[in-house]
Amino acid sequence: MIQLTIFYIFAAVLLVAATVVITSRNPVYSALFLVLCFFTSSALWLLAEAEFLGIALVLVYVGAVMVLFLFVVMMLDINLAPMREGFARYLPVGLGVGAVMVAEMALVVGSSSAEFAEGAIASTVVEGGDSNNVRLLGNVIYTKYVFQFEVAAVVLLVAIIAAIMLTLRRRGGTKHQEVAEQVAVHKADRLRLVRDPRGKHDNQ
Amino acid sequence: MPSDLDLPTDGEWRMVESYLPVLVFIVMALGLGVLLMALGFILAPRNPDDEKLSPYECGFEAFEDSRMQFDVRYYLVAILFIIFDLEIAFLFPWAIVLEQIGLFGFGSMAVFVGLLLVGFLYEWKKGALEWE
Repeated sequence: MIQLTIFYIFAAVLLVAATVVITSRNPVYSALFLVLCFFTSSALWLLAEAEFLGIALVLVYVGAVMVLFLFVVMMLDINLAPMREGFARYLPVGLGVGAVMVAEMALVVGSSSAEFAEGAIASTVVEGGDSNNVRLLGNVIYTKYVFQFEVAAVVLLVAIIAAIMLTLRRRGGTKHQEVAEQVAVHKADRLRLVRDPRGKHDNQ
Repeated sequence: MPSDLDLPTDGEWRMVESYLPVLVFIVMALGLGVLLMALGFILAPRNPDDEKLSPYECGFEAFEDSRMQFDVRYYLVAILFIIFDLEIAFLFPWAIVLEQIGLFGFGSMAVFVGLLLVGFLYEWKKGALEWE
């Protein structure tokens, strides 16, 4: 009963926040309500005993991806009026993408649970009775799904290289310290002893 | 009619029980925030006029729009942070089950970290970590 109440509270907050994300005029507000969406869906995943996914959602999406979203929103220097002009033009494309996503979710949810039950995680739950989500995931990610795991590393590597290639610009004329050279300098490089041309000097 | 995938009800209660402190913190933080804002709203004197409500910078009229373009290198730092954040997310379950998955699991993580090490060396040598 308590569980159900908590679920409905978080689900209601999630729906309201998601609605505000797509109706808000200010893109920064949209991004912040998306943060609220991530938090509440993380709570829902915790209720569904998907602890690792819930924590990963907060760690990765709230902690990192949303910072990126805010940077992008601020970098674009968004002027609101021309954005609303394009609404009708982009509507067909948006509806098409939305329809594809709904169809995909319907396929996943509607497909018989036999396919999921065959998966290693579900079978481990049923056999072991151990519901430590992190342990169950860890047991299969690095052994059974090792290929997908390494592909993820390659995707991340490609992302690193692509981001650097696209955004790294050298700016000329900047001054900066070379600390290593400063430290490695010797007395002979900097100090030159000259003989006083007037001969032996007397401090008068 | 219990099917294989029905979760036991006491297990459901377990999640609420083990995360109850977090829930209490959320409720208290929310309650305190609402309370303080409501107190300020009720108790503080309010005599708004146009000049008080208009935006200003250090006593002057605002010189320019607050929206301005960021340098793209902030984006680069953020995306590099996300990538290594994801790497850490993969390390947590690996550390927990390392005894069960043995040498093979260790090797698969070594390959994973090795691939990302290539990326790290690339960004280091390329100077993406330098802030000019």
